[in-house]
Amino acid sequence: MTLPPSGMPQPDLSPLVAAVDGAHSAESLVQATRALALALAPPPDGSSALTPEMLTAIRTLVGVMGFNNPGAAVAAVDGLMACGPAAVEPLLEGLDNHNYGARAWAVRALAGIGDGRGLDLLEEALQGDIGPSVRRAAARGLGQLRLGTLEPESRAPVWERCLGALVRGSQDDEWVVRYAVVVGLESLGRSPHGPRPTPATLMACLERLAQAAQEAIPVVRLRAQLALDRLASP
Amino acid sequence: MEPETPPPGNAEPISEAEALRRLRQSEDQSLQYYGAWWLGRMRSRHPDTVPLLCQALRQRQPRDAGAGVEHNAVARNAARALGKLADQRAIGDLLEALEDEDDGLREAAARALGDLGAELAVLPLCRRLASGPSVAGAPQTNSPKLQEPCEALIEALGDIGVATPAVLAVIEPFLDHDRPLIRSAATRAMLQLSGEPQWGERLVILLSHPQLQVRRAALMDLGAVGWRPALGAITATLAENSLKLIALRGLVEQGQGEPDTEAVLLAMDELL
Repeated sequence: MTLPPSGMPQPDLSPLVAAVDGAHSAESLVQATRALALALAPPPDGSSALTPEMLTAIRTLVGVMGFNNPGAAVAAVDGLMACGPAAVEPLLEGLDNHNYGARAWAVRALAGIGDGRGLDLLEEALQGDIGPSVRRAAARGLGQLRLGTLEPESRAPVWERCLGALVRGSQDDEWVVRYAVVVGLESLGRSPHGPRPTPATLMACLERLAQAAQEAIPVVRLRAQLALDRLASP
Repeated sequence: MEPETPPPGNAEPISEAEALRRLRQSEDQSLQYYGAWWLGRMRSRHPDTVPLLCQALRQRQPRDAGAGVEHNAVARNAARALGKLADQRAIGDLLEALEDEDDGLREAAARALGDLGAELAVLPLCRRLASGPSVAGAPQTNSPKLQEPCEALIEALGDIGVATPAVLAVIEPFLDHDRPLIRSAATRAMLQLSGEPQWGERLVILLSHPQLQVRRAALMDLGAVGWRPALGAITATLAENSLKLIALRGLVEQGQGEPDTEAVLLAMDELL
């Protein structure tokens, strides 16, 4: 993610929001969402102080994720990820629990942003979502929460929760979810805010996924071995 | 390549013993259908599994349009399961199913014989395709299907891997078939059989075809062959990440050479 130089003026977002609201075809919605997502940048000082225009723009992108238009949803997720932590509150507030598609996209955006406030949703998604692509995104996201932005005293417990969720996820029926769990475990193990040495639970889980007797899918085993090698020689 | 879909309804977890019981009875075909699917999906190693599936493969049912299940549903699912179980004892019954009048059953049998790498199937597969795109590959009247399930027959030849000039000569005319999915299957088989990069490059071109369905098929074909030079083009294809991940898994597991395994794995990480 590249931050614009501080002091750069924000482009006027309201016509771009209006274009998304007024899109009359699937293709024009994709184009308008892309344009809005590109114009959105995080607040220059990294704080979560949002201008009202930006808040409206973020809410508009969150709304697009519920329209059943994958091209537009991908663009919206990119835009929200570029906004970073500032997008988390509007994302969680705008979450429609009854719209399955929108939830799946929100999990992806939260996984990409890596903010601690997304933890509950990521945990829940990895454990219980019916879509393998959602569980996969959640597993990756649980490995890359930005623990450094949390209060020092909550870093260790959050790290432990992520580990617990990933270890449970390592039993998933879908190979691609177990693959994502391996990637999540590796990045969790490399986090500068995790315990040293890397806890035995994490290594044991990766070792199990690296063994033919326990893991049937070769690509998962190969990725688990790579994770073990890379954790052994940082 | 076929996506793997569980049968509708019926999704509760069952045990191996229950799956065998469902397949063994014959009053309720929908239970048999699910039992056959389960045993293949879970790679059952029970000694009764393969004999029971072979028996189910020999079972024929009249077409019952009202029941909502496909023609010869149990036999087709048994063929698919036998392909997954990789047990050579199934080859004889699958070869017989390849001669059945039901083209859907021929399709399932061809795919299973390809999965099993059954060299005995090469001649009968070639015989079905020998009349070329204008006969075997011509559309049926009142149906989008072709006279023969060409895609499955050609892919099976590629998977079995007998690269004689006679086999190549049967596949070659399908490289120019009207339908891009048949062209993709033929190109994939030529790549598997000859190893020549020109066929891999042709599949890469199909990754930017305007129809999503064609791009998806090319992804699956490149994955099935494991052609690693396609790595960059696969990651850039306009298609679902789920399919790209399946294709890249194929590059890791079936492929070799450059880019190396680690490079492919790291590209997969980016798609999660």
